[in-house]
Amino acid sequence: MDPAITRLILQDLKIAYAITDANLEVVDVGGAVDVLCDEPETCLGCSLPDMVPELIGCEKVLADILDGDLPRFELAWTNRETADGRTLYLTIVDLPYRDRTGCVAGILHLVQDVTEMGLVDRQLAQNRNELRLLRDQLTRQNLALAAANAELRRLSEMKSAFVSVAAHELRTPLAPIRGYVEVLLDGDVGPLNEEQREYLEVVQRSVRRLRTLTDNLLDVTRIEAGRIELLLQRTDLSALIKTITAEYRPHVEAKAQSLTLHASSHLPPALCDQARAEQIIGNLLSNASKYTPEGGQIAIGLELAHKRGFLQVSVADNGVGIPVEDQSKLFDRFFRAKSAVLTGASGAGLGLHITRSLVELHGGRIWFETELGQGSTFYVTFPIADVPAMNSGDSTATAEV
Amino acid sequence: MQKAISKKICLLGDFAVGKTSLMRRFVYDLFSDKYISTIGVKVSRKTVVVAGTDGVVELTMMIWDLGGSEEFDRVRASYLRGAAGAVLVCDLTRSDTLACLRTYAGELRSVSPDARLVLAANKCDLADRQQLTPAQVEAVAVGFGAPYYITSAKTGDQVEALFRHLARLLVV
Repeated sequence: MDPAITRLILQDLKIAYAITDANLEVVDVGGAVDVLCDEPETCLGCSLPDMVPELIGCEKVLADILDGDLPRFELAWTNRETADGRTLYLTIVDLPYRDRTGCVAGILHLVQDVTEMGLVDRQLAQNRNELRLLRDQLTRQNLALAAANAELRRLSEMKSAFVSVAAHELRTPLAPIRGYVEVLLDGDVGPLNEEQREYLEVVQRSVRRLRTLTDNLLDVTRIEAGRIELLLQRTDLSALIKTITAEYRPHVEAKAQSLTLHASSHLPPALCDQARAEQIIGNLLSNASKYTPEGGQIAIGLELAHKRGFLQVSVADNGVGIPVEDQSKLFDRFFRAKSAVLTGASGAGLGLHITRSLVELHGGRIWFETELGQGSTFYVTFPIADVPAMNSGDSTATAEV
Repeated sequence: MQKAISKKICLLGDFAVGKTSLMRRFVYDLFSDKYISTIGVKVSRKTVVVAGTDGVVELTMMIWDLGGSEEFDRVRASYLRGAAGAVLVCDLTRSDTLACLRTYAGELRSVSPDARLVLAANKCDLADRQQLTPAQVEAVAVGFGAPYYITSAKTGDQVEALFRHLARLLVV
């Protein structure tokens, strides 16, 4: 091949060569010699290992090449730093250099500048390694989270079990207390004077409060454990609400509050657990009365909900309202709004949490509207029993043209 | 008269364990928190004076910092040829980087069976993230018949001691 063409090929491929004698002294250089060294003339007569630091310590390798025992030695991706701090990537290949008789006379040392590809490969390796590190970190974090979750679940189960046991143990002595108080109040063991009656009625009210608290605690633990079972029945909600209002009327009237019921006519029955529906509406009614001052107004509404297939119950009061900062936590366990503290209303902060859980177990929804100082309205929805299947189109009659 | 010799040593270990950082700390007394992957091999040199069996020796350590990514597994054998010694590096904050040192040691021994080994358990400055204990590192080092050091390229802790120990093994 024409040496000029060979030179062109070597320049284009950025390949330099150096040929040594059997003593590893450089006798010839060529190709893209700037890859090899800064001043090609200074290379001649140099020892190859002195010129190529990567070959220091590779004496046996070079000896094997000179002996004809090693046909090729390659060092791919050798990094070199330039004086201005750039990184060059070089591929180094050492081959036996044979004379015309075919004997190994020295070493043919080839160096190719592969920096362009090297920089790309380095970036790829960098991205891959960083992703691997992230993946490992995520794996460790996931394991830690899983362990933390398992511990939290264990602690939660322990707490629920404790609360359940405590509530049962607290409830047990209440039965005889309530029973004997009722016996005394009924006069079964003799007449009572006014003072005795008054004291016993205080005890009776306190027992009822404690009973409600323990029942709520037990409900919370059952809800958390998924052990609440609903006995779903077709229920006339209008009749149910009338029963509840009759039960609460004495408490409401004791505060000179008015209690009205407005129910739409011809409403379909709801599908709900009657006892739990009473608990839900009773709790809302109790709250409305608690947080409304004497002489206030409470209104209960019953109508079809906007969402098809549901009935909507509303309990509106003109009481103290709920501050904005309390609204997002209203349904949290043990949360008591500022208004509860200010009005001195009793309660452990479990009622709305239980109410929401029970409503959602029915497939319904609970929400509220409120204005501080003006009052609040709570809404709950219950599914309608026997909801007819949806028609493909409207049921409006169309006249024939 | 001081004898002057050159020996090739390799830094081996998984990616991002701190091989380049250990080399830079030993050779240039520099450290950077920025992680830049090494591809291929970078050769640096440092000369130390150590006591040999026949007197003081001026040893030039040609330190081969090998890329730890598995993409370069197939070219690693050529890098290891002629190595007189190696530093096996693991990362104390990544437990899987210790077990794979057996593979690297095996590769080295197949190409340079007489190479001397020292083990570096790096990043001891990251105390709150450690996944490996000194006992675990020691167990692996004993398996290699090699000394070990708990190092930090960031603070320089035990880095000089590590390389000097290897240097002494190379001149014996």
